[in-house]
Amino acid sequence: MPNMRSKTKLLKIVILGDSGVGKTSLMERYVNQRFSQQYKATIGADFLSKDIELEDRMANLQIWDTAGQERYQSLGSAFYRGSDACVLVYDVTDLRSFESLETWREEFLAYAANRDPETFPLVVLGNKIDIVDRAKAVPTKRAQQWCAAKGGVPHFETSAAEDINVEAAFQLVATLALKRGEQEEEFFLPETVEINQNTAQEPCNC
Amino acid sequence: MDGLMRMGDMEADAVPEVALAPQGMEGALGDSLEEAFAGVTIGSDRYEPLADGEYDAVVLGTGLTECIMSGLLSVSGLKVLNVDRNQYYGGLSASLNLKQLFEKFKGVQVDPPESVFGKSRDYNVDLVPKFIMASGNMVNMLIYCDVAKYLDFKLVDGSFVFSGSRPHKVPVTPSEAMTSGLMGLLEKNRCRQFFSWVHFYDLEDESTWQKRDIRKVTMGEIYKYFGLQKDTIEFIGHSLALWRDESYIEQPALETVQKIKHYADSLARYGKSPYLYPLYGLGELPQSFARLSAVHGGTFMLGAAIDSVLYDSEGKACGVRAGNQAAKCKFVVGDHSYFPDKVQKKGKVVRCYCVLSSPPANTRDSNSCQIIIPARQTKTNRKSDIYVLVLSSAHKVAPEGKYIALVSTTVETDDPASELKPGLDLLGPIIDSFLAVDDMYEPASSGQADQCFITRSYDATTHFETAVDDVCDVYQRIFGKALDLSAPKPGSR
Repeated sequence: MPNMRSKTKLLKIVILGDSGVGKTSLMERYVNQRFSQQYKATIGADFLSKDIELEDRMANLQIWDTAGQERYQSLGSAFYRGSDACVLVYDVTDLRSFESLETWREEFLAYAANRDPETFPLVVLGNKIDIVDRAKAVPTKRAQQWCAAKGGVPHFETSAAEDINVEAAFQLVATLALKRGEQEEEFFLPETVEINQNTAQEPCNC
Repeated sequence: MDGLMRMGDMEADAVPEVALAPQGMEGALGDSLEEAFAGVTIGSDRYEPLADGEYDAVVLGTGLTECIMSGLLSVSGLKVLNVDRNQYYGGLSASLNLKQLFEKFKGVQVDPPESVFGKSRDYNVDLVPKFIMASGNMVNMLIYCDVAKYLDFKLVDGSFVFSGSRPHKVPVTPSEAMTSGLMGLLEKNRCRQFFSWVHFYDLEDESTWQKRDIRKVTMGEIYKYFGLQKDTIEFIGHSLALWRDESYIEQPALETVQKIKHYADSLARYGKSPYLYPLYGLGELPQSFARLSAVHGGTFMLGAAIDSVLYDSEGKACGVRAGNQAAKCKFVVGDHSYFPDKVQKKGKVVRCYCVLSSPPANTRDSNSCQIIIPARQTKTNRKSDIYVLVLSSAHKVAPEGKYIALVSTTVETDDPASELKPGLDLLGPIIDSFLAVDDMYEPASSGQADQCFITRSYDATTHFETAVDDVCDVYQRIFGKALDLSAPKPGSR
């Protein structure tokens, strides 16, 4: 682990948005190149990780799913701690999911970005453009305006089903996170200890 | 993130499988969505579905014990709904920011002046302050459930014991004993011999016993054998063995010797200190177990007021109701606040939360520490020790330059605030403080009869060992078998 740490940069990325906008699908598409037509509320997703090479640096992207806790706005502060970047997702066919971005952004910044919330790496994804012809509830322009008003947040329209823009969006997230991470290194970070099985002894005798 | 190690290994699938279903409950529910859309019928009443409307278990409250239970239940394959009346995780063991603290204890909606306190959100003040013993059962629980990866831990700087007129660093090794200002020269030597005896004592090897069988001889006799003085006995009993009163002295020495060894193991595990504490406060702990539960399908609803637990004709819990919504279940787990008529009071704890601008004197400028004031040192008749925990920005629970001191003890008089005075006197100037006197509760029955499994209040101890005991106890009551934290993890098979 310490060896890896010096060479590979660990980046925590959280993916946020209303239930059913396709957060898990986007992660699955990006990391595992998979897509399932069947919608299943997320159970069993924790985080997916992927090693990538960025500008001659190795990075281990850890993309954290909401594990369904967003359903009743019950994510909790711990989920956001230590994030290096955030992916905000809405469904282009569901206006309400777009309107929720405001709240998701505020909640995320409140817990994750103690410094410079205005410049914290965020990327907005409008997902499900593959079914956009039927009813496009969120016009591209409107989403772009919102992103511009939030300090020029990058905006992508994506499809996890048809693999449109997914790679590009996550690539940008990683780049932004890595940049911020490099600045962050100048700040003091507390020295933490590792708790794992190797250090475990003396099982519970209750 | 660089330099900041994430806990544990990073395998997303390394989660324990507790391969047992509770007695009389074969497996989890199937897909109950259809029924949920049709409404929920409980007894002769019909309700709108609360969340999915039907679960194996409903957990009320998101305190540490409840969230650990929720995680264990979900991992074992049960469908779990976890509800809390508050908008935040942690229930009675939450960590609050400064604004929430003012609201809770001063009853006012104010913005505490930033010029005095710094930013409100930089505070994470534990309602139930505790440290984690590095080789204690809380760490075993974190490893067993594989949730340490969600948290970052840091050592607590120092452990001190009040003796005479000031705190002294707690000596724990023979060499530390030799340099401690706590004892005179002769006493240091005796203490060193005692530590050495404890260190080498092996129940299997009679040659290490010095003719003392600790299963038979009392701790008092051991102290006498080594000729230890009162002050030494006090820090050994209260700061190392972590006894809360003197009754252990008349008991066989076995347990005390084990506790001292345990303390030494905790110290040895990471070096400088036997105590760990999570960055951002203890409120992060229940959330890590909540995530475990959610990853295994648990549903979480914060800010949901549960009006009542519903019972069937036999008086067994069969659901919970919130307004015109309800969720069916087979049993309910919850903290005492959700079962006012099913719990009994068992003493009180007084706690004072203080904001300081410098660490307490004589703590070697520690950015975090514990000071134990043994009851006898207060020169009163009190029986319970007084505990002081100090934390700071080093653990991200206060802004730079601010310190949080938490003074607590078991209430013994009609004037609990005054009982904390010996602790408060150590702190120096206090910018502001908040006082809480809480009744402690325990369930009036085991829960088998009514299928309501109620958790205990958190006591005044400064570590989590008793809280983990409660988890094990609730688990035993629900499943009828003990929770084995040493069970192999699936990843290691």
